Amino acid sequence: MNATAPRSRNRPRLIAAALIVGATAMLALSFASVPLYRAFCAATGFGGTPKTDAAGPTARGERVLTVRFDANVARDLPWRFEPEVAKISLRTGETKTIYYKVANLSDHETSGQAAYNVTPGQAGAFFVKVACFCFEEKRLGPREAEEWPVVFYLDPALEREEGMRGVREITLSYSFFATKDAAPSKTSETAIARPKG
Amino acid sequence: MFNVNRVMTRGALAAAVALPVTLCAGFALAQENGQPVPGGLGLPNMVTPVGLGTQQLYNMVLMPIISFIALFVLGLLIYVAYRFNEHANPIPSKLTHNTPLEIIWTLIPVLILLFISVPSLRLLAEQVEVPEASVTIKVTGNQWYWSYKYPEDQGGGFGFDQMLKPESELQPGELRLLTVDNEAVVPINEVIAVHITSNDVIHAFGVPSFGVRMDAIPGRLNQTWFKIDREGVYYGQCYFICGKDHAYMPIVIRAVTREKYNEWLAQAKQKFAGADQRVRVASESR
Amino acid sequence: MASSTMAGAHDHPRGLRRFLFSTNHKDIGTLYIILGSIGGVIGFLLSLAMRLELAYPGVQIFPGLAELLHGADPSMALDAGKNLYNVFITVHGVLMIFFMAMPILIGGFGNWFVPIMIGAPDMAFPRLNNISFWLLVSSLVLAVISMFVEGAPGMKGFGGGWTFYPPLSSNTGSPGPAMDFVILALHLAGASSILGAINFITTIFNMRAPGMTLHKMPLFVWSILVTAFLLLLVLPVLAGCVTMLLTDRNFGTMFYDPAGGGDPLLFQHLLWFFGHPEVYIVILPGFGIISQIVSTFSRKPVFGYLGMAYAMVCIGVLGSIVWAHHMYTVGMSLNAQRYFTLATMVIAVPTGIKIFSWIATMWGGSLSFRAPMVWAIGFIFVFTMGGITGVVLANASADKQFHEGYYVVAHFHYTLSLGAVFALYAGFYYWFPKMSGYMYSETLAKANFWLLFIGVNVVFFPQHFLGLGGMPRRYIDYPDAYALWNLVSSFGMIFVTLSLVVWFYAIIEAFMKKRLAGANPWGAGATTLEWTLSSPPPFHQFEVLPRITGAGR
Repeated sequence: MNATAPRSRNRPRLIAAALIVGATAMLALSFASVPLYRAFCAATGFGGTPKTDAAGPTARGERVLTVRFDANVARDLPWRFEPEVAKISLRTGETKTIYYKVANLSDHETSGQAAYNVTPGQAGAFFVKVACFCFEEKRLGPREAEEWPVVFYLDPALEREEGMRGVREITLSYSFFATKDAAPSKTSETAIARPKG
Repeated sequence: MFNVNRVMTRGALAAAVALPVTLCAGFALAQENGQPVPGGLGLPNMVTPVGLGTQQLYNMVLMPIISFIALFVLGLLIYVAYRFNEHANPIPSKLTHNTPLEIIWTLIPVLILLFISVPSLRLLAEQVEVPEASVTIKVTGNQWYWSYKYPEDQGGGFGFDQMLKPESELQPGELRLLTVDNEAVVPINEVIAVHITSNDVIHAFGVPSFGVRMDAIPGRLNQTWFKIDREGVYYGQCYFICGKDHAYMPIVIRAVTREKYNEWLAQAKQKFAGADQRVRVASESR
Repeated sequence: MASSTMAGAHDHPRGLRRFLFSTNHKDIGTLYIILGSIGGVIGFLLSLAMRLELAYPGVQIFPGLAELLHGADPSMALDAGKNLYNVFITVHGVLMIFFMAMPILIGGFGNWFVPIMIGAPDMAFPRLNNISFWLLVSSLVLAVISMFVEGAPGMKGFGGGWTFYPPLSSNTGSPGPAMDFVILALHLAGASSILGAINFITTIFNMRAPGMTLHKMPLFVWSILVTAFLLLLVLPVLAGCVTMLLTDRNFGTMFYDPAGGGDPLLFQHLLWFFGHPEVYIVILPGFGIISQIVSTFSRKPVFGYLGMAYAMVCIGVLGSIVWAHHMYTVGMSLNAQRYFTLATMVIAVPTGIKIFSWIATMWGGSLSFRAPMVWAIGFIFVFTMGGITGVVLANASADKQFHEGYYVVAHFHYTLSLGAVFALYAGFYYWFPKMSGYMYSETLAKANFWLLFIGVNVVFFPQHFLGLGGMPRRYIDYPDAYALWNLVSSFGMIFVTLSLVVWFYAIIEAFMKKRLAGANPWGAGATTLEWTLSSPPPFHQFEVLPRITGAGR
């Protein structure tokens, strides 16, 4: 006992220090998960995240699939936003350009940011955007109307993917949200001023 | 000292009541399609391929297996309590290891789980892989109602909100908390794809008779599908907590023949003309 | 080895000073048990109000309750009542997990018996132990305050369920400060548990008596060790997860806000990366307790000791990689759902090993049906029931029929409200004579058992039927077809309430009658070190460290 006493006096502190380092690492990991999750989704198409590739397809495929286009606008953004066509058919490896029509219905400048995904989720890894309006924040002047292109193709690799065998139709969806500058005031005055729905 | 026999009889009694009920629970009773049945014990009558698959998986595979395991464990407990209580067996054995036994009770559950996973994963693929749809409806969750849109390329081009009918306005035969003002109509025997998203917080679209449940998440489009095999009115509800009126945003889908569906489309186009605009105005005033 | 007992540790403080500033593991354990009982009673009262409301279709009692608790205006009482119901389900969940099960099982029994069972004089960091406890008290205060400040616009309290999914918990759904209070409460509870976990792990690694190797430790100590590692692994993730929600709410970040490129699903992934291991955090100490009790009252060592210990490690590891089975309906891709289905089902294997090993421990034993043993057998049965419905829900395909419905409610209450609570009662009656020095009344303890056993089964078994029929959870009102089983379920609360009354009476009776328990009331089967000490144990035990020889388990 006596021989080991000095060592054992420090040992609990060492164990505790190691455990604190471990817990701190997990905490850091939880924050790191934000960029990691984004990178993971972008790399694997997890959760229906489309891929990006400015280069375009390298091969032509055989299968023909339907791609449907969906558009949503948040309540607090006074925009009309809809695809020019409801759906198209295309062969894998074929690059297509489609347009979304957008109009600011208000008399002041507004800005929005799009969230997007494709469904079914497993199609994300094979839906490749060459160019898209959704990559940055968009501004529209009063009553301004525009047409925004999306350039994309379906990766022929999907023909080899077991999970894509049953998929005939892929939907690309955008949801525009008003750009937020800061967190809204949290007093109950502003909350109550809003009429109840 | 506590009377062991009394434990036994009471335990056995509890089991005798609980377990037949467990067994019955797997079998759906005759009921009107599409709405919950009073005092129902099992799954609702299913009217879609996925729903029937779910019913089969639960009633034929999962339910019998879990009932058997529950009975088996209960039986072992009762036997052990009877055979090895301190009166019946005053001298305890020193048995603490039996490697073959341990291997068996590791392997058999693995086999059971493998057995379950085959039909389960097959059904999963059927649920997730949406077949080619002839009708696609877009459903959007709101606090606290659902909005539907029928796309233009399939004879639609209109949208409407579906709100709960207040209790004071119910006609005889209409269901409290389930009846709505505007039913969503779809044709039978055709694949209906449902695109689901939300305009505020998370909701979930679910219709028990279809075996369908899918979250409505803002900024994200989800999809599911169903193919209804008979006419009827099918009720669903919101399956994710979304605020104070979570319990007050039902879903009603009316399934009709293709002819009646086309008629409805024509009527609805007129009835809901400009509704898209109306919805927008209504939501802006919020 | 005993060096961590400080100079002056031999003084024996009394009264307020003894408990307020306590660094004694047994006193802190007692405080945890009292705190957990208070949290549990509040949580129970909330559930009683919910079951009363759900007894009949329609909204009956919550508008009145809102007027009473929140001073809601009668004209607004219906809306305030609907909101209050959601607040109740949320706070019920938070209290039962963070302020009932965890404090009693880990803070209470863990603090009391881990040092004694490994032959240590106290925990490794006695003052840290005190901080852990008072952090949890502050956390409980914040959680209760959150019920009385603004959450959703014009409403009081946060009513979005204990999983706090944004946007309902962000400024979109609950702009008021209630959610901020909840987040801070979670921070404090998390900090408390992390410090506690560090303390337990250090104690177990460093302060075992000579001869007490890891493979000789009682299974309860093993269970606390695995639990502590899980806590350390996942609570920081919860902390990070809710901190990002806090900054989203107050400082304009967009981690979970799709309007700024965030993703609400990221919150769900992080929350469940914590949330799923959390259910094992609650149930593993229960496994440990049941192992001790089954062995004691069978007068046999635990069957397959190593298998039991490593089954817990295995459950802890597997439990950390299956979180997204709570998210089958968010639109995950097919392969992800396949993976989570298979991985989740695998957990049934180590759990099965535990169930069968307990039965094998009893097999060939000489069973004495004292109250702790009756609770333990009850536990094995109800936990099996909860486990098998878990196998059903593990299937992504079947889950699409049951998700967010009453089948799920029945499932997790069978594992927690019955499983964890039965383990907790088993442990309470098992160690009550040791902790207090007095024997409880067998009759009252068994009355407590049968009332609760009947009660919770009547409450929760019919909820399987409701779930099969499609009833969604977190509903204040339901279609009339669900009336029958809701009424039956509410009826069961009568037994549950009675069982709590009997439990209180059993405690009071024991302290009034003062039947001395003696060092070991359980006989030859009780082989762990706590039974070698007097009841209650001396303020400072093991001043001469015990030396463990043979296979002492």
